[in-house]
This record gives sequence, structure tokens and C-alpha cells, in this order.
Amino acid sequence: MQRNRILALFSILLIASLVLGACQSAPAATATAAPSEDTPVTEEATEAAPQTTRVGGWLDEIGMKIVGADSAITQIAAGDIDIYTSNLSRPQDVQASDAAGLERSFQYGIYYEITFNPAEFSDGTYNPFNNGAIRKAINNLVDRDYINQEVYGGLGTPKFFSFVSAFPDYARHVDVIRGLEADLSYDPERAEAEISAALEADGAVKENGVWTHNGAPINLVFLIRTDSDGTRVPVGDYVSNQLESIGLTVTRQYGTSSELAALWVSGNAPDGLWHMYTGAWGVGGITRDDSGDFQFFDSPDSAYGFTTLWQSFEAQITPEYRALANDLANANYSTLDQRKAMISEALQASAESALHVWLIDGQGFSPWQPNVSVAFDLAAGVDINPLTAFTLRFDDREGGTLQWGTPDIFVEPANPIGGSNWTYDNQWQLLTRDSAVLLNPHTGIPLPQRLESAEVYVQQGLPVGTTYDWVDLSFVASNDVPADAWIDWNPETETFITVGEAYPDGLSSLVKTVVTYPSSLYDRTWHDGSPMTAADFVMPAIMTFATGTEGSPIYDEAAAGGLAAFKGGFKGWRITSTNPLTIEYYTDVWTQDAELIAGAGAATLWPEYGYGNAGWHAIAAANWAEAEGELAYTPDKAVQAEVEQTNFVGGPSLEVLATYLQRGADEGYIPFAATLGDYITAAEATARYENLLAFYGDHGHVWAGVGPYILDRALLVEKTAVLVHNPDYTDLADKWAAFAAPKVATAEIDGSARVTVGQEATFDVLVSFQGDAYPADEISSVSYLLYNAEGALVETGEAELSADGHYVVTLSSATTSALGTGSNKLEVAVVAIPVSIPAFATFDFVTE
Amino acid sequence: MSVTTPDLEAPSGVPQEQTTSPKAQNSTFARVAKYTLLKMVSIFFSVVVAVYLTILIANMGGYVDQIVRGQIREFIGQQLRADQNYQQMDPAAKNAFFLAQVERAEKRYGLDKPFVVRSLTFLWNAIRLDFGTAQLMASDTGSRQVRLIILDRLGPTLLLVGASNLILFFGSIALALMLSRSYGNFWDKLIIAFSPTSSAPSWFYGLFLILLFAAVLKWLPFGGMIDSPPPRDQWGYILNVGKHLILPTAAIITSSIFISIYNWRTFFLIYSSEDYVEMAKAKGLSARDIQYRYILRPTLPTIITSFALLVIGLWTGLILTEGVFQWPGLGRTYITAIGLYDTPVIVAITIIYAYLLALTVFLLDFVYALVDPRVKIGE
Repeated sequence: MQRNRILALFSILLIASLVLGACQSAPAATATAAPSEDTPVTEEATEAAPQTTRVGGWLDEIGMKIVGADSAITQIAAGDIDIYTSNLSRPQDVQASDAAGLERSFQYGIYYEITFNPAEFSDGTYNPFNNGAIRKAINNLVDRDYINQEVYGGLGTPKFFSFVSAFPDYARHVDVIRGLEADLSYDPERAEAEISAALEADGAVKENGVWTHNGAPINLVFLIRTDSDGTRVPVGDYVSNQLESIGLTVTRQYGTSSELAALWVSGNAPDGLWHMYTGAWGVGGITRDDSGDFQFFDSPDSAYGFTTLWQSFEAQITPEYRALANDLANANYSTLDQRKAMISEALQASAESALHVWLIDGQGFSPWQPNVSVAFDLAAGVDINPLTAFTLRFDDREGGTLQWGTPDIFVEPANPIGGSNWTYDNQWQLLTRDSAVLLNPHTGIPLPQRLESAEVYVQQGLPVGTTYDWVDLSFVASNDVPADAWIDWNPETETFITVGEAYPDGLSSLVKTVVTYPSSLYDRTWHDGSPMTAADFVMPAIMTFATGTEGSPIYDEAAAGGLAAFKGGFKGWRITSTNPLTIEYYTDVWTQDAELIAGAGAATLWPEYGYGNAGWHAIAAANWAEAEGELAYTPDKAVQAEVEQTNFVGGPSLEVLATYLQRGADEGYIPFAATLGDYITAAEATARYENLLAFYGDHGHVWAGVGPYILDRALLVEKTAVLVHNPDYTDLADKWAAFAAPKVATAEIDGSARVTVGQEATFDVLVSFQGDAYPADEISSVSYLLYNAEGALVETGEAELSADGHYVVTLSSATTSALGTGSNKLEVAVVAIPVSIPAFATFDFVTE
Repeated sequence: MSVTTPDLEAPSGVPQEQTTSPKAQNSTFARVAKYTLLKMVSIFFSVVVAVYLTILIANMGGYVDQIVRGQIREFIGQQLRADQNYQQMDPAAKNAFFLAQVERAEKRYGLDKPFVVRSLTFLWNAIRLDFGTAQLMASDTGSRQVRLIILDRLGPTLLLVGASNLILFFGSIALALMLSRSYGNFWDKLIIAFSPTSSAPSWFYGLFLILLFAAVLKWLPFGGMIDSPPPRDQWGYILNVGKHLILPTAAIITSSIFISIYNWRTFFLIYSSEDYVEMAKAKGLSARDIQYRYILRPTLPTIITSFALLVIGLWTGLILTEGVFQWPGLGRTYITAIGLYDTPVIVAITIIYAYLLALTVFLLDFVYALVDPRVKIGE
């Protein structure tokens, strides 16, 4: 009997220990000083890296494997992986990462909002969001600071407009935005008063604390997303609670993206099946021009104009706002001042129409070991930042094997033309890539990676400027496109159609770009050992047209639409020299940054297709297989033709590709011979195919890039990739070391807390980075905003430079007189050139 | 099928030889043939109904069409937002361009045909085991053929779930037999004491084991099927996969072993107290003979049924445990397909399971007759 009791006790203890063990949080890693939560990490890495003779990537080998987001930090802390590249954003992840002493990035680009259904319901049911005043007042009902702290752990930034607060257009218009924000900020009493007034005006009655219309409670159906990062449920619940607190009835309809898209995207808005939706939007990189946002989010002319929801916006915005949004989207302005005036007007109109309540700019991060460093993009983070390939390293040594965790890998078939678009596949592909230009990860402005020089000729009147000196910008009356420039493709003759043939009367373009590559370009080799040649740059020109042109043996209906859109702005290419390679690009598509124009000009013929680098010979084999009906680049065509989608890294495609490579080698096959015959000899073709076949034999795939790492092995079922250092890469490993960390400024205001009305007052603004004064020549602007005791914006202006990192704001005697007595607020916004993120500081003072 | 009274005099395990006349043989053949035919027809009918129901459920009676249409529009809208060429088109051209993209995508998903027509096509193809291509998913090796999507994951699933369940099954029976012989001793009570631990699922033990052996002790990997970078030699590869199998296998076994032993032990105990077993003991037969000939033999139909269902149960994998250990198994494929509403994959996995179940149910009747002389087919 006693033994039975002991056994029973033992079993209870065992179960209890299991439960407790499984419920405890992840163990803290070995004690390491935790960085302050609000201190950007890896800042020390901005110091100049030591000189090196190593070329290509810093690492000898990278092993990628699947790691779940829930255990990523535990696995890094345990030393199982060195870096986890996917975006984490939960507050508990931040705490765990800091507690474990890990380094981390910080990245923006995802933002959260509430979309209203403002349609007039067809069954006659009252829709309060048909009333713009109610929509606008909802802004005052939600406390964005509360949401940020409670849901996003303080990582996010409260948001009132679509512009991402870390991106340039926010910084450019910060004075206007801040002024409008004051009107939209949290003020529940005002919200209730305005909503009540508007409801009563619409015939609603509040009975027993509940708003009714025609005798029935006003029931708002709120579509709340349960998937994604999980934050939309607490946000949706909070907003529902706020609405219920003022007497509105809310039905919370939870669902996944797919389930709710059936209602808010493809459903019929006037059916009245829903009133609000928890939206979130993301960008893959720093956007330098957000002026299209007004059309996209508020106008029936949006890319979402196909939905009845966006069509219902027509009745909610003024014709003037609609026209203004279109003008901004189509860049119908001639100066930056004009643009700013238009955007200021559009921001005001957007706030008035209030078709969305913008809530939070989210911030995510990727964690890594303290002995690892990597440059991260302020929007794209680590995983899809091209500089990751060039900067990822162990701090204490060159070389080594790095363990890389990712939520998934090899999700879709990989091919350069129509392959996997998954972020998880993009990251291993980026390590194998090289590009003509690379984006500055802190500003989104391209920097030359391969170019010798770039010239941009812009038609006079377009507001284009430069930030860096690598682009030579000129303004011209007109860019006449030469008659021998290529503008289209004849699939029958397999030759380009020239501008002279297509436009006998001549053609001009808004923009002309001339990019020149150094002669050393041809010293570079593909991963299979084949040297890069001019033919590699002609093949992308052909492929731009060949897949989307009817009559082509590789015609793909899926590509036709994209080609039609491209042709809308495209005006021609011309290769004026093959050594050094010099390419002219004519187009009507332009942006404010000449570097972006030059980057587009360079990228247009660089052998980097939509989904990866490839030499002409790899494309030739895949084209051949597609023309013979054995493979297809895109999933659409593969399904339609009932063939395998071309996959360069595995599956049934490989044998097919190998067959055509062998045939190519045997026959000395020159693809598109009528055109490429000028650039390729039969002997060269044979050598290339043989090289790729040998590469296939060595590595088991045909993904031969030209970047700093070679995809050595792809274990598709095991979901593991092994990348090894490319010893033939020509650049030194420390070429991009300067971008190890963003130079985010810190701003402070100092001055007297008491100001006498009618007397001039001065305030010192200190701008620094890691404690050192921020150089004045790296500061774009230091502007100030003055709010009175009512919180209204009463004055904006520029601070005066006193010394590096020191600016002065002077409030005139007239200004202080106008303030009257009370508590006021001074805010400064610092825009630095090296980063897109503006820095803010506020200072409260009393006028007496 | 019927069961006759146990032959207490001759439970030797060797079927008694019987002399039968040709007429009797013909009668038996006809009986078995008729039974077989009816059984096949009824099972096939059940399979067809089950598969069509699966198609209807997987498509929410056609509502999934609306969901997919929404997904297509949202995806294309997001894509076009980032396309500068598209952005600079005039509104009418934008709309036309967008609609053309949507139409093409809907055609690819088969949404240009009514759901009823597609559901019958799904059914017809499924019955013929022609699974076609997935709508969204790709196999690990990059193919969109549903057949390959399943085959890629079959190996890892069989490796993990097969190894675990076979160890669990035979280990449980062997230990249960031992315990049934020594009812009430220390080990018997220990097993009973531990049996409530099986109330926790295998993924729960998985988390616990990962915490202990991967995070704290760092003896075993957190998950996955192989180290990264993996060993280059074959033996190294096999040993490495074996190392990755330890924790998930241990989790699966730990979650079920005690209750399984307890169940089988109780089952054997019931048979151990039958009169013919007592008689055998009284006759002085050895414990081994009693165990194998008087206890195990009569319980064979139950054991075989349990084993057969376990084997086909491997097909669906272990969804959550595979997720916890990042194991590339069929369970995760199934749940992904459900999440993506990829009907061809859902239907394929279901129809194969239905066929396996039908075949098992069909064959078990014959197996019972083979292992148990009391069973007659068709009577």
C-alpha cells in the first residue's frame, strides 16, 4: 500500500514537472550585457573595417535551414544558429533577444490601418461610415500611443497618414503632417461629441446608451484579421471597445486573409456585409516617392479600383482631390516646390475624406549572435537586402561557417524568368547575385556596384535632382531616340525592331541614360567558370520581349501584360560600344532621384532577370526546353500546357535542362542566332554549355550566378541550402563595410523652460550620432514646429546652423506675443542625408 | 462473416484439416465470391461518397471560389502597386490591364468553369488516381504535380511516424504481455501510475524534450531533418538523420507508450482469465506456450486490425509534431494545402487515405479468416 502511494506521488510529481518545464520561458543565454531597448544595435560597426585582401563574401560557407519564428531566439542563444533573417516584431521577442544579449536590426515598411466601407448600402440599411465626419472623428477616438505600447511593445510609431515615418516623403513634409496630426490626435470627448452630432444629423437616436437608427441598433461589422503577425486582433478589439464605449454596437468578425478578402476585396461593398477592416500594408524597400499613395488609397483610379469598395470612394472624395491624386501619381508637376504644395493639399484632403484611419508604423527586427555583423536595410531588413551578401560576417575572423535560420526555403520552383517570388527563396538567391547598382540600405538611393560612369539627360522642366556625385545629370530640351535603337522584337526573324523602322518620323523620350561599364567587366566569370560577355547583356533585351510577344516560340500569356505596361514608357536601347560596354536607355519613366533613373538604366540590361542572375547559356537551354513544350518558366503557362515549371535547382526540370545543355554543346547552338550571332561564336557556345553541365555534375543544379557565394548544394526535401565562398569574385570583401549600421541622428532641445511673452527666445538643438556631433554637411534640414497651449501648430521654420551638431531656433518677440500665456511645445525634425529616418525632439516651455 | 464457438479442445494454432466435397468447395467459392463482390461494391460506393463530401467540404460548397477570387485580386493589386510602369498608366488602361490579369489568374485556377462541373471533374480524376497539378503548392523538388508533392514528403513521414509507431506498437505489445503475466507487481503498478502522462500530446513532449536536450544540454538538434551544412558522405548523412530522429521519435513514443502498454496489458489480462487458459495452466503447459498459443493467438485479429489501422494512419502524418520539429512530413503538407485551399492536394491525400482504408477493411476480413479458424467469410 505504501509503495502504491509512493508511485502515485511520483507520477504526480513527474507530470507536474513536465507541465512546469514546458511552460517556462526560453532559458536566458549566457550572461551578456543587454543593450538598451531603444538603442539601435550594431552601431559600433560603423567604424572603418580593417583592410583585407579577401575577395567576395566574408564567409567560407553558409548553411541555411528552417527554423520556426517561435524558437529562433532560443536557437541563437543556444548557439544552434548564428542569425535568423525573417522579420520578428512581437514585444516578447524583443525582450528575449535583448535578455539573451543578441544583436538585432530594426526595419520599417509595414503599417497598420482601418479601412472603412463608406458605400451606401443597397438594402437601405444605415451606414454611419457613409458620413465623412464620422469617419474623421474615429481618428480622435483611438489612442495610437496606447496601441503602440500595448500591442507593439513601443516598437512602432503612431501614424496619421499613409506616408511611412521612416521614409523620405514623411521627412520632406513633416511640417505639414505634424500640423494635421494635431487635429487627428486622441481626444475621446471631442470624438464622441462629433460622432454624436453627425449621427443625430443622420437621424440616429441614442436609446439607453445605444445608438439606433430607424429603431434598430446601429450594428458595425468589423472584419478582424487573425493571421499575419497576430497584432490585428488586439488592435481590432481595442477599436471595437472604443466604438462600443460611445454606444455603437460592434460585431467582431474574425478571419484569415483569405476568408476576409472574399468580403472586403471581392465582395460587393454596397451589400453592407461589413463596415471596417483591419488593414496592413507593406513595402519591400525604402520608397523615395510616396506621392502615388493618395490615388492608391483614396481614389477609384487606384490599382484597387476594380473593387466595389474603391469605386464607392468616388462619392466620398471631391473631384478636385481625385484630380490632384491622379496628378501626383502621374508626376504632373515641374518643380519640387510645386510637388510639396500639391502633397500638402492632398494630405489635407486625405484627412478630410478619412477613408482610412492610419494607426501604426510597425517596426520589425532580425536577431543574430553578438559576434556576427551585417548591414540591414531600413525597410527590407536582412533577408532581402542585397548588401547582406557583402557584409555578413563574423566580427572576430574572416571566413568560417555561418548557420542561417529561415522560416522556409525552396518554396517554389526557382528560375530567373518566372520563378519563386518568396522572400525565403529570394534570400539564398541574393547571395548568388551581383548587380549593376545596389541600393543604399539607409536611404534607398542606388550606388554603383559595377558601373564606371552614368549620365542622365532629363527633359527640362522635370524636377529631378541628385544626392550623390556618381551620376552626371543634365537637362536638355529633348532626347531624340536614335534610329538604330532597339524598341521591339520580331519573333519571326529573331531580330530587334529599330526605332527607325517603328517610328520613321522619329521618337523622343523624357529621359536618356548612358551607362558605361569598366573593361574589367569581362574579367568576371559565372559560377560555372564561363566568362561574362556582351551577349549576357543582349539576352535580357531579347527576353524582355520574347516571352510576351505573340508568335515567339516561348510566348507566355502571363508575360504579355507586363510587357504591354513596360512598352508604355519604354523608348529604346542602344549599345554604342561593347568594350567598354556602353548602353543608352531611353524612357518616359522617371523619378525625382537621378540615381534611381541611372540605376534603372543600368539594371535594364544587366543579366539579372526578374528572379535572379543567369548567363545567356542557361537561359538558352531553358528557352529551348520551353519552345519544345517540355518546360515553362511561369506557373500559369506550366499549368496551362500541363508541363513542369522550369526549376534550376531541382526536380524533374533538371534532367530536361541537362538534355538541352548537352544538345547545345554538341551542336554549338547559338540562341536567337540572327541577333546573338553577332556576339557569340559556336565554339564559345559549346564551351559555355559544357561548363554548365560540369557545374551541374558538381553541384546537382544549374543555378550558376555571378555573386559572392555559390549555391553548392540544395537539399530540397530536407529544406537545407549550402552556399560556399566564390573565390573568383573580384571585389574586396570590405567594399560595403561602411554600411554596417544606419547613421540615425539623435536630437535634443535645450533652452529656458520659461519664456516671457513678447521677448525673443532661443533654443539650442543638439544633433548627434553615438554621442558625436552630426556633421553639418550630412544634415539636409533642421526644421522646427511650434505648438501653442491648445496644441495647434502656430509656426514652422528652419533652425540656424551654429556648428556641427548645433543648431539654434529663435522665436521672435512677435511669435512669443502671439502665443500668449500657457504651456507650449517646440518640436524639431532633423533630416539627415545618410539615412531616411528623421529624428524628432520636443521641448515644453511656459510663456508668462 | 461469422464467428463460431471457440474450440476449447484444439486451440493449437494449426487449422484443423477438413475434407470437403467438390460441391462444398463450389459452394464456398460462390459464397466467398459473392461476399467479395458485394463488399467491394459497398466499399467503393462509400469511398466515392466520402471523396465527394471531401471535395464539397474542401471547397466550402463552392464558397472557396469567392475566397480565391478575393485572394487573386488582392495579390494582383499589391503587385501592381509596386510596378512603376503600371502606376503611370491612365485609369482606364489600368483597369483594363488589371482585369486582364485577374481573368488570366482565374482561368489558371479553373474559376472560369462552374464549381459543380469542377467538383465532378475532381471526383472523376480522384477515383482514377489522376491527381493532376496543384493550384498553388509545389513539391519540395519544385514540381506542381500533386503526385510528386505527396511522394516528396512520403519518405520523411514514413521514417519518422513509421519508426515511432512501429517501436511503439511492438514495444507496447511485448511489454504488455510481460506485464499481463505479472499482474500487480511493481512494474505493473509503475506503468499504471505513468499512464496518465499520455493525456499530453506528442508535440507537448516535443517542446519539453527540445528545451531539455537542445536548448539546455545542447546534445541534440532543435529540429529539421539534417544538419546544415549536411555531411557529404552517405553514412554520415544516415547517422545525421538518425540524430535528428531521436527527439521527435522520443516525443511520439513518450506520449503514447504508457497508455498503450496499459491498454494491451488489460486486453491480455482479460484473455488470460478465460477458462481455456485456466485449463491449460491446470494441464501444466509452459508459460511460454500459454502466452503464445492460448493468449496471443486468439487475440491476433484485434492486434492485426490495430496494426493495419496504425499503418494506414501513418499516411496523414503528425501535423503538430512535424511542425514543432520542422520535420518535412505529409502532415504539414496536408495542413498547408488546407490553409491555401489547394483542393487537388487535399483531395489527393484524402482519396489515397480512403483507398488505403477501404483496402484494409476489405483485406482484414480475409486475414481474420486466415488467422482465426473460427471465422468464416460470407456466413
